[in-house]
Amino acid sequence: MNKPKVSFFDFACCEGCQLQIANMGELLLDVLGAIDVVEFREVMSEKWVGEFDVVFVEGSITTPQAIEHIKRLRARTKTLVAYGSCAAIGGVNGMKNNYKLEDIRKSVYGKDANFFPTVETKAIHQVVKVDYVIPGCPVYLPEVVAVLKAFLAGLPRPVPDNAVCVECKLNENICLYERGVACLGPITRAGCNSWCINHGNICYGCRGLVSNPNTKGAKDILEKYSLSVDLIANKMNMYNKCGENDNRE
Amino acid sequence: MQYNLLNKNQLNDLISFLAREQKVVAPVAQGLNNYAFTEIKNGIQATLNYIPTTLPPKKYFMPQRETLATYDTTQGQNMDPVVEHEKVALFGVHTCDLAGIQCLNMVFSEKPKDQNYLARKNAITIIGYECNAYCDRFASCRLVHNHTPNGGYDLFMTNLGDKFILHVNTPAGEKIIERSHLFSLAAKADLAALERLRQKKREIFEKNEIPIEHEKIPELFDKSYQSKVWADLDKRCVACGNCTNVCPSCYCFDVIDEPNLDLTTGRRYRQWDSCQNETFAKVAGGENFRKERGARQRHRYYRKFRFPIEKFSRFFCTGCGRCSRACMAKIDLKETLVSLIKEQGMENPNAGRQSTIAEKPATF
Amino acid sequence: MNTKSPYQIKIGKILSVKQMTSMEKMFEIALPGEDLSHAPGQFVEVSLLGIGEAPLSVSSSPTKQGSFELVVRKVGKLTGALHKLKAGDEVGIRGPFGQGFPVRILEGNDLLFVAGGLGIVPLRSLINFVIGNRKNFGKVDILLGCRNPKEMLFHEELAGWKERLDVNFNCTVDKADPDWKGNVGLITSLIPGVTLDSERTFAVVVGPPIMYKFVIMKLLDKNIPERQILISLERHMKCGLGKCGHCQIGNTYCCQDGPVFTYEKVKAIGGAI
Ligand SMILES: Cc1cc2nc3c(=O)[nH]c(=O)nc-3n(C[C@H](O)[C@H](O)[C@H](O)COP(=O)(O)OP(=O)(O)OC[C@H]3O[C@@H](n4cnc5c(N)ncnc54)[C@H](O)[C@@H]3O)c2cc1C
Ligand code: SF4
Ligand code: FES
Repeated sequence: MNKPKVSFFDFACCEGCQLQIANMGELLLDVLGAIDVVEFREVMSEKWVGEFDVVFVEGSITTPQAIEHIKRLRARTKTLVAYGSCAAIGGVNGMKNNYKLEDIRKSVYGKDANFFPTVETKAIHQVVKVDYVIPGCPVYLPEVVAVLKAFLAGLPRPVPDNAVCVECKLNENICLYERGVACLGPITRAGCNSWCINHGNICYGCRGLVSNPNTKGAKDILEKYSLSVDLIANKMNMYNKCGENDNRE
Repeated sequence: MQYNLLNKNQLNDLISFLAREQKVVAPVAQGLNNYAFTEIKNGIQATLNYIPTTLPPKKYFMPQRETLATYDTTQGQNMDPVVEHEKVALFGVHTCDLAGIQCLNMVFSEKPKDQNYLARKNAITIIGYECNAYCDRFASCRLVHNHTPNGGYDLFMTNLGDKFILHVNTPAGEKIIERSHLFSLAAKADLAALERLRQKKREIFEKNEIPIEHEKIPELFDKSYQSKVWADLDKRCVACGNCTNVCPSCYCFDVIDEPNLDLTTGRRYRQWDSCQNETFAKVAGGENFRKERGARQRHRYYRKFRFPIEKFSRFFCTGCGRCSRACMAKIDLKETLVSLIKEQGMENPNAGRQSTIAEKPATF
Repeated sequence: MNTKSPYQIKIGKILSVKQMTSMEKMFEIALPGEDLSHAPGQFVEVSLLGIGEAPLSVSSSPTKQGSFELVVRKVGKLTGALHKLKAGDEVGIRGPFGQGFPVRILEGNDLLFVAGGLGIVPLRSLINFVIGNRKNFGKVDILLGCRNPKEMLFHEELAGWKERLDVNFNCTVDKADPDWKGNVGLITSLIPGVTLDSERTFAVVVGPPIMYKFVIMKLLDKNIPERQILISLERHMKCGLGKCGHCQIGNTYCCQDGPVFTYEKVKAIGGAI
């Protein structure tokens, strides 16, 4: 069997997810045994001119040029994977949508603003059809491998729809609320094996909200713990601003 | 010989003795008044003065993730069932958790039997440990009669202050006593001390924590299916699943296949699942039979207090209080029960008092 | 330790695959060296290693020897993968599971079958069993409904049932297409027209969740006693062993205590339909 031709592209992002993949370590050899990487700017200089079997896209769409580029990529590939929070849910780039586009443009580019057309930040699926989604800032490698396996086997692989708390409890971590710290675990989608909390961090909601979040209930929780609601609203906003566009549709 | 004594300073020796033959797990402090059953090598690591651990000992009977089979499909649908088990001594298990293990035993011994669970259970030695007072305000062990031991252990330790007295319940327990050479026979005075302690406990656990008679609980739930209380929980619950994961008698699971990158080999495993999760009861076509969080909460309560009565003749709530401790929304099991009781006008402030007297003293 | 895992699968060989509609395929499967020995209404857990398992009703009658039939609608991971298989491929089979239709109790009585959509798949097992043992049963009425004519399954078999003098067959579609000559309307519209002796009639109803409430109302209007209305409930299932909890409705495990229940029982469970 021919190994599928895989490529990696990035849009507005920090390239941290690519770095994750490039630094996969031992697993990388297994992965490379199963796929044929034909284009990956972070690690190789070759460019591929033909069709792709699968394109991994990192980053969100923030310019008219990017819209055209992602559409061209979509046309060249059988399968498209949005990986990383920026691509999957808009991620931190979504904070741009808190401001008027004109204001943003001026504050970033100053007097040259007119040379830099810009659009509202969009997650990849808000522009083109996406076949697999791997949220996470950065992506959690075991999940990347799981999605890769699903792709190789031709199977669907939806993002889990239960809370990060589920995995966190299975790992028997001390709940951050007991430390008096606000954590977005209860309303954020699992699938990262509560990676951040295992390492003493809080959940910032980088994987997006569960499909049916009880946001009112989550606010009440903060009040019960005397934590500021603004605090969590900011944390939510940090990764999930673009999600508002999904709800509008 | 039913009762034996262990000197306080020999606890360490007992752990070392056990550790020579198997993995020993005991409650270990994690900070912030959190405890977890963890492997220990010597007695110093264990904490006997603990409130219920974050996860109950069920994780040794049905691990969070457990391989059921491995497979290799190069020659077709070939799978090899896997039964993972190892010798474990569970040290310092409270009576509520003993009850939880008894619940799971009943479920998994029921036909069709679950060989994976049973193999593991058979490899586990249980050394219980008595609570001489309430753990905290979340506990409701008196209500469900789990504040004193009701079997389900090999050895059961009670702290008599200067020494431990151990009840021997099984041949496996007997063996530990014989082979460790650490124990001496309990004298009349020790048994009297145990009886005094139990008497004192009767005073502490004087009546039910919740104003209802044990026997009336099924009736309460028969009347409460349409209660407004569930609508209140619906607003508060965020469906994080903590309450079921930490519950010693929750055992729902999902079965998942995990192929290796070659796509021909891999494993089929089960993983804890929760009726509180959004997708738990969803079927193809999009129908979700417990769509509202309130309905899922109700299901959880009925699975503790109503459904198992018919099938297993016991409550599946062990009174450990874990769900209330773990809930960020502060959904409190005791408060929920009190609300239901008030709604039905079934309050009985002295509930449990008489039955305390009827309780059997420790058998000599 | 020599233990028999309840998760062990048997190898099933696919003898044939038939495309039935755009969404459904029928698989004929044999267990080498043995019969499935199921009762009508029971289901099997079908597995493909690396993909998963799904509960699927046995659609063939137990009177069919040597192989059994499944009809699979493509909705997701496992069902999608099954649709890619062809004759000669293998699947894993566990079961049969659950309580099927109480054939003994039905014997000697009149039967009214009501099937909506995919409900005909398990019901077909019982209908063909009844037809195969026709003299053991009284009057037989079959009512069938589906969304549109394109979704209708088992065309040839339905035609056969329609031809029979000892079976009353009637069907309807929610939405007709230009070629459709039959009834248009919900399945509930067919029930008032059936003549029946409510004392000795058992109604056997299988269909999508929303159908039950309305069909049962009509059957009760016909004075059929609650314990003579049989329904088969679909729930999310994983283990099939009464353990994993997914299929639980109230106090009952649909996989072991069901999927077939009397309406009397279902009403008592609460929250079932
Ligand atoms: C007793 C019983 C008999 C059935 N008989 C048939 C039949 O004869 N033919 C047929 O085509 N279908 C039948 N089904 C439905 C079939 O089991 C589901 O369509 C199948 O499990 C979906 O699996 P999947 O991997 O393809 O879907 P997934 O990719 O897992 O999920 C797709 C959708 O199916 C739901 N789903 C997942 N697992 C199950 C499950 N175990 N049970 C129900 N829904 C599930 C998911 O919530 C999701 O909405 C039956 C179900 C039951 C309970
Ligand atoms: S722990 Fe609390 S918030 Fe979480 S599922 Fe249970 S009741 Fe709901
Ligand atoms: S399917 Fe697991 S309990 Fe019924």
